[in-house]
Amino acid sequence: MSAVLDYTRQEMMAIATGREIRDGELAIFGVGLSMLAGFFAQADHAPNLRTMTEGGVFGATPVGGLPWGIECNRLAVNATSFTSALDALGFLVASGRCDVGVIGAAQVDKFGNVNTTGVWDGDIGPHYRPPKTRLPGAGGANDIACGAKRFLIMVTHEPKRFAEKVTYISSPGYLDGGDARASYGFVGGGPSAIITTLGILRPEPGANEFVLDGWFPFSSVEEIKANTGWDLRVAPNAREIPAPSATELANLRKVDETGALRKK
Amino acid sequence: MPNKLISLAEAVRRFSWDGMQYASGAALPIGSDAIVFGRELLRQKRKDLHAIFHCSGQQLNLLAAAGAATKAECGFAALEVVGFANGLRRAVESGRLALEDYSNLAMTLRLLGGALNWPFVPATVNIGSDLQYRSAFSPDEFPARSKIPSVTDPFSGREIGAFSPLRPDVAAIHVTLADPNGNSILLGTEWSRFELSRAAKKVVVIADALVDPACIRQYPNLVRIPDILVEAVVYWPFAAWPHSSPGMYDMDEEHTFFMNKALASEQGTADYIRDFVESYSDLDSYLDLIGREKIKTLSASGSSFLLDPYRRWIFAPEDVASLTAQGLST
Repeated sequence: MSAVLDYTRQEMMAIATGREIRDGELAIFGVGLSMLAGFFAQADHAPNLRTMTEGGVFGATPVGGLPWGIECNRLAVNATSFTSALDALGFLVASGRCDVGVIGAAQVDKFGNVNTTGVWDGDIGPHYRPPKTRLPGAGGANDIACGAKRFLIMVTHEPKRFAEKVTYISSPGYLDGGDARASYGFVGGGPSAIITTLGILRPEPGANEFVLDGWFPFSSVEEIKANTGWDLRVAPNAREIPAPSATELANLRKVDETGALRKK
Repeated sequence: MPNKLISLAEAVRRFSWDGMQYASGAALPIGSDAIVFGRELLRQKRKDLHAIFHCSGQQLNLLAAAGAATKAECGFAALEVVGFANGLRRAVESGRLALEDYSNLAMTLRLLGGALNWPFVPATVNIGSDLQYRSAFSPDEFPARSKIPSVTDPFSGREIGAFSPLRPDVAAIHVTLADPNGNSILLGTEWSRFELSRAAKKVVVIADALVDPACIRQYPNLVRIPDILVEAVVYWPFAAWPHSSPGMYDMDEEHTFFMNKALASEQGTADYIRDFVESYSDLDSYLDLIGREKIKTLSASGSSFLLDPYRRWIFAPEDVASLTAQGLST
């Protein structure tokens, strides 16, 4: 029995996300946590992962800590190709070639739709009005949500972020559930998991409503349900998700040199 | 040699006006952005700008905070890991600036459509989400019909969307290296600067360094913006400050956070404009403002090796001065 490891919820979320990424895949990462999760996977169990950012930085790994942005010099120092957004998000994602993308969310709903655009007081209503709090917008996440074969959503688990229905769909999950995506003909398959600071949710086949698939060692079904804004159902085979191994944690911290995920 | 060099002040006098569609910031926030052009727009009191910024960044953050931009179209409107863009945020939340949202691929495709003079661009992204159904420019339409209208694919019969093409009046494009005639090399990702340089009606390049045309002839494959597209060339080191420019300088972390904090309030914005927009009179005093020690630190970038193949052709400041005297300014 090894000593109990000291890790943060953010680190658990990043490692759980990284475990979803398989060796050899073509992967695209957004900025921040999703980038750390992706590069963790490469450092840990997916050495042949083929990576790109949405601005068209290929084959780079962060040097000197979490890049400030996807065009940051911390990524520009060891790239194998610099191209463009049209190349990365268009030729390689909208084309249907990208296996997996990782995106973040300010708000997510039970069908995996993502809001990163704004916070309104109540519904927007028929007349568009500016949000009370403006958020960054869709960025490349909408393109990843439409085009990647599957995508992963990383989000802090709080009731205000887990809504029955998001106020504004910035990036489409399963829309109204079931096969609603089909009418738009998206080449991408939709979100395969929502990885949070407390556990993992996955879509139930058919209805495509997200249900609880697992909780982290420091969490519980009760805590997760209490922090979810809809009546979250628990999958029959839901289980506790293993804590990070010493190797996983070491590999994550190699990527997260500046300790962005260590802040509690 | 052909020479389109012009001073920054002259470029803004000639190539900007109130109410124009102004494109810049065609790189993600923490990459290169012709921020110094935006500072000069404020110095010359330009207003009512319709900003076409693929991604926002500190330039649009500043223009919005100062009230100079009243409309904007963006794919991403924040400062990535640095955080929300406080000035832009205040302008949007108060209703002073209407921000029309698209995705990053959508902005590139709309510029491509403008560049090719297409009537519209087929949209297989942004459809089905509120990017299609909500419009800040046509707030009474719900679901919006004029933003990304539905069209039928004539081959499959499938319903998709139509993006409107973008043809900005003027684009101020930050480049790493340019020759005096405007042939430009961009280190790092071009993001959508290639498409933008073809979509805009007029292009001004703002270069961190000027190179001899022999450099251009050595690496023609890397010249993604040829001189025939360029109206004028502005030489301005640290043009993207406090952002980074791959191969040239790192992000000024301290000033980036300071600036964004200042832009969070009216008073802070006024102070920022006084201290960092109106306070310099020429390139030398601009570099003094950044701080000569700071410049040394930022220039010691881990990415500096990217510039190595080009160094022998970079003009010294005194050569630039005499070239500028012979350029379009005369």
